[in-house]
This record gives sequence, structure tokens and C-alpha cells, in this order.
Amino acid sequence: MKENQVDVITREVIRGGLEFIAEEMGIILRNAAYSTNIKERMDHSCSLFDYKGRMLAQAEHIPVHLGAMPLTVKSVITTFEGEINPGDSFILNDPYLGGTHLPDITIVTPVFYQKELVGYSVSRAHHNDIGGMVPGSMPGNATEIFQEGLRIPPVKIVQKGVVNKDILNIIMLNSRTPKLRKGDLMAQLSANWTGEKRLIELIQRKGLKTYKLVVDEILNYSERRFLAIIKNFPDEEAEGIDFMDGDGISDEEIKLVVKVKKLNNHLTFDFTGTSKQVRGAVNCPYAVTLSGAYFVLRSITDPTIPANEGLYRHLTVIVPEGSILNAKPPAAVVGGNVETSQRVVDALLKAFSKIIPDRIPAASQGTMNNLIIGGMDANNQPFTFYETIGGGSGGTPNKDGVDGIHTNMTNTMNTPIEEIEARYPLKVLEYSLRNNSSGKGKHRGGIGIIRAFQTEVPVVISLLGERQKTAPWGLQGGKDGKQGEYYKITTENKKIILPGKGTSTLEAGEVIVIETPGAGGWGDPKERSKVQKTDDRLDEKVSEK
Amino acid sequence: MKKIVIGIDIGGTFTDIIIQNKESGDIIKQLKVSTIPKNPEEAIITSLQKELTSEDIDFVQQIYHATTIATNAFLGQVNLELPKTALVTTKGFRDILEIGRQRRASLYDFSFERPTPIIPRRFRFEIEERLNHRGEITLPIELDILPKISAIIKQENINSVAITLLHSYMNSIHEQKIKQYFEKNHKDIYISTSFEVSPEHREFERTSTTAINAILMPIVSRYINSLAESFTEFGFKAPLFIMQSNGGVSKSDQIQKLPVSIIESGPSAGVVASRFYAEFLDLNRVLSFDMGGTTAKAGSIVNKTITLTSEYEVGGDVHSGRIVKGSGYPARFPFIDLAEMSSGGGSIAWVDKGNALRVGPISAGSDPGPACYDHKGEDPTITDANLILGRLNPEGLLNKTFKIYPELSKISIEEKIASKIDLSVFESALGIIEIANINMSRILRIVTVERGLDPRDFILIAFGGAGPLHACALANELEMNHIIIPNSPGLFSAMGLLFTDVKHTYVKSIREKIMNLDYQVVENEFRNLEEKGFVVLDEEGFKEKDILHQRFAELRYIGQGFELLIPLSEIDLEANTTSTKIKSLFNEKHKAIYGYTMENEEVEVVNIRVNSFGLIKKPVLKNIKSGAKKPIKEALVEYRQVLFDKQKDFVKTPIYDRTALLAKNENTGPAIIEQYDTTTVIPLNWKAKVDEFGLIHLHRM
Repeated sequence: MKENQVDVITREVIRGGLEFIAEEMGIILRNAAYSTNIKERMDHSCSLFDYKGRMLAQAEHIPVHLGAMPLTVKSVITTFEGEINPGDSFILNDPYLGGTHLPDITIVTPVFYQKELVGYSVSRAHHNDIGGMVPGSMPGNATEIFQEGLRIPPVKIVQKGVVNKDILNIIMLNSRTPKLRKGDLMAQLSANWTGEKRLIELIQRKGLKTYKLVVDEILNYSERRFLAIIKNFPDEEAEGIDFMDGDGISDEEIKLVVKVKKLNNHLTFDFTGTSKQVRGAVNCPYAVTLSGAYFVLRSITDPTIPANEGLYRHLTVIVPEGSILNAKPPAAVVGGNVETSQRVVDALLKAFSKIIPDRIPAASQGTMNNLIIGGMDANNQPFTFYETIGGGSGGTPNKDGVDGIHTNMTNTMNTPIEEIEARYPLKVLEYSLRNNSSGKGKHRGGIGIIRAFQTEVPVVISLLGERQKTAPWGLQGGKDGKQGEYYKITTENKKIILPGKGTSTLEAGEVIVIETPGAGGWGDPKERSKVQKTDDRLDEKVSEK
Repeated sequence: MKKIVIGIDIGGTFTDIIIQNKESGDIIKQLKVSTIPKNPEEAIITSLQKELTSEDIDFVQQIYHATTIATNAFLGQVNLELPKTALVTTKGFRDILEIGRQRRASLYDFSFERPTPIIPRRFRFEIEERLNHRGEITLPIELDILPKISAIIKQENINSVAITLLHSYMNSIHEQKIKQYFEKNHKDIYISTSFEVSPEHREFERTSTTAINAILMPIVSRYINSLAESFTEFGFKAPLFIMQSNGGVSKSDQIQKLPVSIIESGPSAGVVASRFYAEFLDLNRVLSFDMGGTTAKAGSIVNKTITLTSEYEVGGDVHSGRIVKGSGYPARFPFIDLAEMSSGGGSIAWVDKGNALRVGPISAGSDPGPACYDHKGEDPTITDANLILGRLNPEGLLNKTFKIYPELSKISIEEKIASKIDLSVFESALGIIEIANINMSRILRIVTVERGLDPRDFILIAFGGAGPLHACALANELEMNHIIIPNSPGLFSAMGLLFTDVKHTYVKSIREKIMNLDYQVVENEFRNLEEKGFVVLDEEGFKEKDILHQRFAELRYIGQGFELLIPLSEIDLEANTTSTKIKSLFNEKHKAIYGYTMENEEVEVVNIRVNSFGLIKKPVLKNIKSGAKKPIKEALVEYRQVLFDKQKDFVKTPIYDRTALLAKNENTGPAIIEQYDTTTVIPLNWKAKVDEFGLIHLHRM
């Protein structure tokens, strides 16, 4: 073995160790957090970076968080060049400076080993209120980022081990739920400090020189695994086009175009031709678009390849500046992260369905159905309830899609009904699978969900959802899934359809119903097996017509 | 009068049986026989017939049993089709069981699956009724629908029903009404209600637990009845006790009502045995490490108490020792907090597409077995690596009665590993061991560092057929300094059965800030739970002096969604400083685990819990003959070339026979101690000392 090489055993030991640390961080964060959004729904992600700011390991929580993290760390490194010291931690949420959307707050902690910078531990969590025009900070009708909440550029939240109370106070004062903010931020720090401690321990055991050599090797390893798969894809070019319902301000359709090219073991995703940035809140900062691209890359290759820079070495992502997928300030972006990112995936998969048809499923629900309910509870205390609701997952070449589940860019859990009713002035009237919403096919799409809340007090509701006009598409002869629908039911039992994006009010006793989209089917419905048809009928999921 | 107790641990490959004289503590017989999966009692009866005289049969006082029947039912390992089961739930919510937490277990896999709903939608029935979170009735129950449901249940030959209504943990009245209806109108039906099985909030976990219980009831009842029948036929009058996942046993008729309590019955016994050692040797921090042919398991014992958890998914996938959320069926019940990893002697080493060396999770098991067995197995395993490094006896395992072939191991490692990653055969073998050790060190980390405990404060008890082979390397990885190898590591779990107290756990939902609690009410609720435990233990034949209750509260800061379990047995609930004391206990624990406290935040209680124990008389470890520091000549069997370290060469290593070692004997590493059911590896910088009970203590120097 050469002088400057480490053996595969050591590499594997350290790589596994790093992944394990990221996972431990995720568990610490979840357990120590305050808000239901993190505790019950696990809307957070953790990862480790090397001294050059390259991602090394991540805990698999939320795809949309993770893809964007490298840009977050880069932002901290550029902003604080020469001022990154032991005992510091940096915080940011600004989408134009390394963030995704304002509710996602990221904390970056540099790790030093014997005074040398060796890496970063990073945590990102979705905070359920960061100010702005509506409770929950997810205004579907925002037209500029200033309406979406407090913008935090990269700043030192901890200096030499001391938490900067001033910054904490600014954040708390700008949130409708300040106590939760503090608790959740402390939990993030706790996770980062755990990551820091563990990384130092690991280097202590294995030696700094070995660690540094291994870091390079870890990235090369992912690259090799990537190449082993991509070489089997045909050299081809294909286009994928998909649409969004609108930007929440106007109903004008938004077009996403991507040209996928595979040539000489290299992939190019070119989004030229995509709609210009819009007035409403569905714009994406570049980082979010990149997250969608990374998600697709991992899913079509091999999910077990460690996700790091090595995996993305042979990928070029071209996104025109000023387009909806690479928006410039002060565009509103809160929905880009949660909704447009899903469509980025859809457009890419549509293109890939022409290149590697036996690997690509039909479209999943294509939205996260963001629902925020806020107001004052019976004790006159402000409250904010946020959740996203699953739908159908697309039929695949091998099997049916899954019913009522989160797909693609998100994977948050639901909040237990018994927790909601104990904590908020809300009552859940129904939580069920939405019959007859799937796209037919040899392998049908998954069906959606119906979730209905009745409020005991007057509340403001923010909705941020998609696929109410355009439908999740079928593939290879499979049919489209059924669009989603949101409506309220008044105390006189009148049904009023609500737009997919926007803010409305409910009076005490009124009900909001969310019906989420079913997914597209895969393959000719005529080829569907009798047994499956009978099962669907007996289980009342698909009635025969 | 002679008193005999019997412990029976049925595993996938072997059934371990231990027969002990309860009075003298002498082991009359210990046996390992092959398991017959389809008819497990057959192997037991045949062996017992051989070992027990007809006179002995009358002296048998208790039979203790650990079983994997419940887990296997969900893994499809036994030829069992899950019995048809129905669910009755609140109108609008029949899909809670299927939607679960709406999360997928694998993020980047388009072909992801959700575990098939354990009760299909067509058998999930809804009933009009509603309670709020305080347990107040907001919609009275409409029982008129029940005859219709009843008719379907009869028509479909469903014989088990789960009843789970929203907020029933606060008020059981509606569930009771449904239960009464079914009891009256169906003759042979099993009924599981959520207020009895899992009276805690979070509807999905409660529904899932209750459904699992309902599914297991017919299976476990049939199993226990058939076992009991065979025993009666054989002439036993002794009661049968079954190991539960919480580390206590319970009488078989209790288990038939609450089979969800025995899901991790099998792996629990080893931890219980470790706990007994902790008590007997007065050790406050002990890690239990069990490594067999396919899996490794770790659990922690702090202050002689086994650490428990309530998060478990039956049939779930395991990643790095943690169960992948959403991959199985959640069962919420006190489980011994075990971290498991697919890593055992039979785990296969392989090189992946990126040229990385991997070990497990696939195991060669005993069929096809490791390459050295010369069965059908050609893949290199951990056993093969240990063998060519000289750590296992090249002439055979199990006192050389089981022939093995090191040259086959060598060929296999050369072909499948070494040639692919550009290392020598021996470097590869060392690599296999190192990676396996790293993997296993994670499960030890999970049960310590992740729970706010420092492994360096712990003593490791290593057992199972392969545990003592890897113990020192694991201890090095975790910087632990002291290891204990029990007398019969391979039969340690079965032995644990004889050390086990009877245990029942009870929970009551109380949701209030601890400052606002009426502690008189809390005291009464605790007493109610303890009374429940007392009644059952009394039925099981325990006298009052042998009954012990422990009290706990599940606490959190207001706004948090996860609780910490705080022991309250030492707290006088009627003192006026109670809430302050409880708060400081909680803060302390929070700080230990999460690194910070929120002194100004209010703390709330979510549940109170009681563990009720029926204490049994524990056996005593017997003294062995004492010798000098240096083992007697007969103990040193031979010298063998063993490779410990990649920087160095093979070293001439003394091999000792454990049965010839005497108290006070010492062996300095490198050395190897062999015995029938395991091999203990003592690397450089480690020293072995035999204590007065014959236990081997390994110390890092």
C-alpha cells in the first residue's frame, strides 16, 4: 500500500462512523425539540461536512432539506472567512444566502480538532412560525419575501461557546410562538454539539491524517458506485414538461421544462425554457431546484450510494437566472421548497421515463398539501398548527403505488389526532383514504387522503397545495390520478371550495376538508389482474365502473 | 423435599434446556437440542423424558419458557397464516391503521412498500361515537350497527376482534360497551380492547398495538394450550411461566390475554441473566452483549435495573441497530431496550460495486453455513475470518466434535474478498473482523451514548456462542476496561429464565402540569395500579412479602412531544416539596440526555406507570476450586499461531481449557481460552482473571 493511501477497511470504518454520527444527531434533535412539527413529524435533517465544506454523511430524513445543505455551508464559509473559530455556531434561514425557505432554520457548527478546522456539523429544522403575514409563516399569497417572515443572514448564534442572547431574542420576538422557537433552536444546537463531540472522538481514535485521506476516498467511493450504474443507461436526450396550477396570485399556468441528456457517463439537467419567476410564493432559490435534481439522481441510480459530492460529480444542472427555478430577490419563495420542488421531480421523471422506462413510476401526488391553522386559543394564547398531508404514490413498473403516504421531496409524519385535540382548539372529524382517486393502470396509482378539521375558535387558514387543476400523470398507458380539492363547510352545512394557495378564515364550528390527489397509474388498465381488482372492490378503494 | 425448576429457551436453530435443583442451586442438566419448528414441544418432551425420572416430575415446581412464536408470526417464519381479525373503531377513522404515520420507510426507492395492513380495510368497521381528549362523551355511542358487524364477522369466520376508539385511554366506557356486546353474542371469540392493551394517547400506536394483540391471541393461545397439554400428559403439575419483552415472566394464562407482551421474549432472557450478575456481583453499570450465529444484541443495566423502551416495530427492518421507522408494525409495550444488528458468526462478508468490503446483513446460518463447514456455503463469514486468523480451533468446534476446514475459508476469502480489494487473505480476514466489530460497537453505543450514558463507566458481560470472541475488540472501540465472561456463555440466556421475577406493568394516562397536580389523586392512582398488580400476583401464588411495586412518571416540558421516564418510588407524594423534587429529577435526566435544561419551563406529566414484581428466590453462583496465579499444567492445551494485529505477524499463543482453570488463575494476552460452547480471545494489552465463581474477568491494561 502506498504512503498516502488508506486501506478500504479503514475507509469503511470511518465512513460508517460518520453516517452513524449524523443519525445520532437526528435522534438527539428530535427528542430534545419542542414543537410537534419536529417531535411528531420529524421535519428536520442533520449532516456532517468536511473542512472544505463538502457533504460527508447525512441522516435520511427530508430530501428537500438535504440537497440544499451544501450551499448553506458554503454560504457560511464565504461570509465568515477568517472568523470561524472553535466554539462558534452559525445560524441562517435566508433562501438567497444558502437557505431554502424562511421556516427552515439551519445551524452550522464548525468542528475543530487540536485547533484545526476538520469539518462542520449541520442541522436544519422546519420552525412552525418565523413571523410574517400569517401564522405559520407559509403565506400562499405572498408576493415578496418580506411578507414571509424574519430573514436571518448567516450570523454567529454562538460565539466561543456562549449563546448570543441578542440574536435569540430577535428571533423569538419575531415569532408568534417564541417559546417553541427557543426550545427547537436549543435542540438543534444540542444535536450539532453532539455531532461535534462525536467527530472529534472519531478523529482522536483514527488519527487526523487518516481522517483526511478517508474523506477524499469516501467521495471517490460514491463516484465509483454512481458510475457503475450510469454506464448502463443509454446515451440519450429527452425532454420533460410539467405544469403548476398557478402562483396563488393569478391562475396562469406555470411551465417547467427540463432537457435531460446522458452522454459519456455524464448527466445534464437543463431547465432552459422554464417560466420566469412569478409574483406568488412558488419561486425556488437555486438550492431547492438542486435538491430536486439530487433526489432524482439518487432515486434512479441506487439509494444505498452514500450521498455526497462524489455522487454528484458527473451531474450538471443548468437553471436560467430569473426563472421560477432560480429566482432573484425579493421574490416570494415559501412554496418553492414544498411545492415547486415536487414538480421539478415530476418534470425530471417524465424526461427519464423516455430514457429508462423500466425504472420510472407514474407521477405521485406532486404536492405536500401544506395546511396551517393559527389563531388564539380559549385562553387567549396564540397557537399555530402546521402539517402536510400525504397522498397517492405513483404506480411503478413492478407494482401498485402506495395509498395515502408522503412522496418524493418530503417524508414528514402526521400529528397524532389525540395530540392535536389535546393541544389545539381543533377537532379532527375524519382521517381516511380517499376512495376512487387513483389513476387506473396495470399497476394503479395510490389513492389520496381525506382529512377534516373543525375549529372551536375563529382561525386563519393558510393553504399551499398543488395538483388541483393539472393531474398526476399516468405512464405507459396508465391513467391520470384524481386532482386534490380543498373546501370548507360552514355551520349551515354549505360547501365552499377554497383555492389551492392562499389564506382564508374559519369561524368557530366551521370545518376545513383537505382531499389530496391520487397518483397516476402505470401500464394499460386492461392488463390489471382480477385478484387485484377484486381486492380493491372489497376494500372499497376502487369501485368498479 | 427436592425442588426442581426448568428453563426452556426455544430459538430458531437450537432449543436450550436447563434443569436446576432450586434448593441447592445445582444445575442438574443443561442441553442443546435441535429445534423442530413445526412441533417445538416434541423436542422438549423427548429430552425431558430422557433426563427426568418419574419421581423428579413431581418435584418440578415451575417451568420457565422463552419463545419467538410471536415475532415469527409476523416474519412469516412459521407456517402460520395470520388469523382473520376485525377492527372496530370510531367513525371516520378506520384507515388510521393503514395510513400509519404517512411516512415511507425508504426515501429514495420508488418501489417502496408499506407493510400490508395487518387488518384489511374490509374488516375494519366504524361505529358512531366520540370522546374528547378529556374523556368526555361528545357523541353517545350508536350500538345499532353492531349486529351488522357481528353478522359479517360470523360469515367470514373471524375469531378475533380489536376495539380501538379515539381517546379511550381517558374513558373506556364505549369500548367496554362494544366488548360486552361481542362477549354476549359470540361464543368463541378473542377480544382485545385498546384501554386494556395500551391505554395511552397517540391513536395509531394504540390501534396498532391492539390489533397486533388481537392477531396474536389465537396463535399464542393455541401454542400455549398445546404446550400445556403436552406437559400435563407428561405428568407436570407445575405452572408454566413465559418470558415477556419487559424482562419479567408472567403466568401463561395472563400471556394468553396479552400476547403482545411476549414479542421479544427470546432475546430478553440474556439481559435478565446479565442483570442477575449485576446484582449478584454488585455492579452498577453493566452492558449485556449477546452474539450468536445471526444477530448481535446489546442492552444496558443501570443500578441493577434493565433499561426499557416502549418504541418497537414488529417485523421492521433494522439499520445500524435501529429499527427503520415505518418498516414494521408498531407495538407499544415496555420492551427491554435492545439494539440489534444482523451480525453473527454466520454473517457473510462481500465486496460491493464501489469496491467496499461489507459484512452482513445476510447470514449463511447453519445451512448453507460458513465456507469452513463444507456444507453448501461458499461465501466467507465472520467464522471463516476468525478461523484463518487462528482464533478458532482449526480441528473443530464444540470440543472438536464439529469438523471444520480452514483451507476452505482461505479459498473463499481469497476469491470473494482479497482478490477484489487488493489485500492479502489475512488482511482481508482482519478487515472482516474489524468491520463486524465496528458494526457491533454501534449497538453498544445506541444503548449507552444515545441514552446519555458513558460506556467507559460500564462493565461488559459478553455471551452467546460468538460474544467472547469479539468482546475485547469491542471494549477497545468503546474504551471499556472490564469484561465478564459467564460460565456457560452459550446457554446463558436459558439460564436467565431461572433468574427471572414475575413482572406486570400498568399505565394510567394523567395529563397535567406537575405544579397543578393534586398529589393525593396521583397517590390514589398509583395505589389503584399497584392493587391491579397485587391481584394478579396473588393469583399467581405470590405472598405479600415477595411482591414489589415500582412507580414511574412520564414527564416532559410543556410543548415537548416526547417523554422521559422518571422513577418515583423514592418520592413521598404527599410532602409539600414533591413537585419541586420531581422537577429537579426531570431536569437532571434531561440535561444528561440532551445537554441542556429549561429551568423556567413548566413540566407536565403524561402517564404514570407501575411495575409490579413477584420476586422469586434467585440461585447462587457456586464457588470453584482455588488455584495459584499460574494455571495448572493441564489447563494449557497447546500453542497456536494467531494473528491479532495487521501491523504485526502471527504470534505463538497459548490455548487454555476453561474447564481446567481455577479461581485466581491469570492469563495475560495474547491468549485464548476454549470451552465447549465458546472461545474467548484475549488480545495483547488484556489480562484474564478467574474469580471464585469461575467467571472470567478481562481487564484492559
